Amino acid sequence: MTSSSASPRKALSKIACNRLQKELVEWQVNPPAGFKHRVTDNLQRWIIDVIGAAGTLYANETYQLQVDFPEHYPMEAPQVIFVPPAPLHPHIYSNGHICLDILYDSWSPAMTVSSVCISILSMLSSSTVKQRPEDNDRYVKNCKNGRSPKETRWWFHDDKV
Amino acid sequence: MATDTASVAKQAEISRHNGNVAFKKERLGAAIDAYTEAITLCPDVAVYWSNRALCYFKRKDWERVEQDCRNVIQLDGSSVKARYMLGLALLEREDFAGGIKELEKAFDLERSTNPDGDMVEDVWQALAKAKYLEWELSSSKRAWRLQKLKDECESALILHQSLQDPQSEDGSQASSDDKVDQFELLNEVFSKALEDDTPSEVPDYLCCNITLDIFQDPVITPSGFTYEKAVLLEHLEKVGNFDPITRQPLDKDELIPNLAIKGAARAFLKEHGWAYKTNPAF
Repeated sequence: MTSSSASPRKALSKIACNRLQKELVEWQVNPPAGFKHRVTDNLQRWIIDVIGAAGTLYANETYQLQVDFPEHYPMEAPQVIFVPPAPLHPHIYSNGHICLDILYDSWSPAMTVSSVCISILSMLSSSTVKQRPEDNDRYVKNCKNGRSPKETRWWFHDDKV
Repeated sequence: MATDTASVAKQAEISRHNGNVAFKKERLGAAIDAYTEAITLCPDVAVYWSNRALCYFKRKDWERVEQDCRNVIQLDGSSVKARYMLGLALLEREDFAGGIKELEKAFDLERSTNPDGDMVEDVWQALAKAKYLEWELSSSKRAWRLQKLKDECESALILHQSLQDPQSEDGSQASSDDKVDQFELLNEVFSKALEDDTPSEVPDYLCCNITLDIFQDPVITPSGFTYEKAVLLEHLEKVGNFDPITRQPLDKDELIPNLAIKGAARAFLKEHGWAYKTNPAF
């Protein structure tokens, strides 16, 4: 389960709330291709369906992303994970954690949920092999205590895949 | 005599203190009595009036808020609180022009003296809300008047056409096309007239890439990108010393106010009052 992200979260700040409202409106007017936001009344957690792009290893497969926003979004990155079963991918762990630099060290407040989604889809689309990261078992075991991927010290897999 | 004045002032301060204690316990009636005593003793002390105004404000007694705030402003023209409360009181009484004028003064005063405080944001929110309400009122009046005029123009056009063309003769096809054209054109002219009043999206070039909101105080970086100043400073402090879009190294000393965009955002808001509705909460 994804209870890893159920750690006590502070309510969104005013700035975060405003910004997310705007992102939501923008998403409704102009959703990124291949994604569907499941409408809920919870602004702080978005559940998004991802549809694998045609002509890629993940064509016709549907996965679910769970995006949780911290109090000081967008000054802090959102926590983005796949709801298991996560796609088989060299940078995606079986517990749904995603090894993608923009979600951690390389986050910038000029990014949006939409731009993050597009990066994740492009990461999926460029994959040439369906397999778990080499250290999957060790990593997932280490996360058993419900650790958030944002607490992981990521050493990023190469950026080419 | 000198001792008399001093003891009167001292007595007034004691009353003020009693008022503050009562106010904290939310005993507004007692607080008002105490401040009234202080005012009677020393009517030239602005803070006695503004404290009493705050009590009336809590009681939503807008008329008395207005009176007390006007006294404060006479004694101390730079009181942001008095202008803020006065502005809100006037708005409550639907004096939009007057309320906006006071809130604008409060905003300018607070931004020049205490730009990083919470008060700036509060005053701005109140001002934006007031401007939005004002727009809502005036735009619905405009829409109503235009609709009325349009109806009259249409009836006049029908009448005019029937007078010009009592019976169909040769070329009646062409003339009926012309008639349809005239109605379409009339429609177009009137919808054009309502365009500015129709809520839509603020153009991207007037919005910050971080707040996604229309610019208030834009600054430009050496990369050429413009951001809302307060939020960019927060980014530099909390996230890192880089331009959020280009990721080039960026120091806060390199930021330059973007006056052209600031002017453009202001002009846009003037023409499109609906864009003041930045905060979904109101």
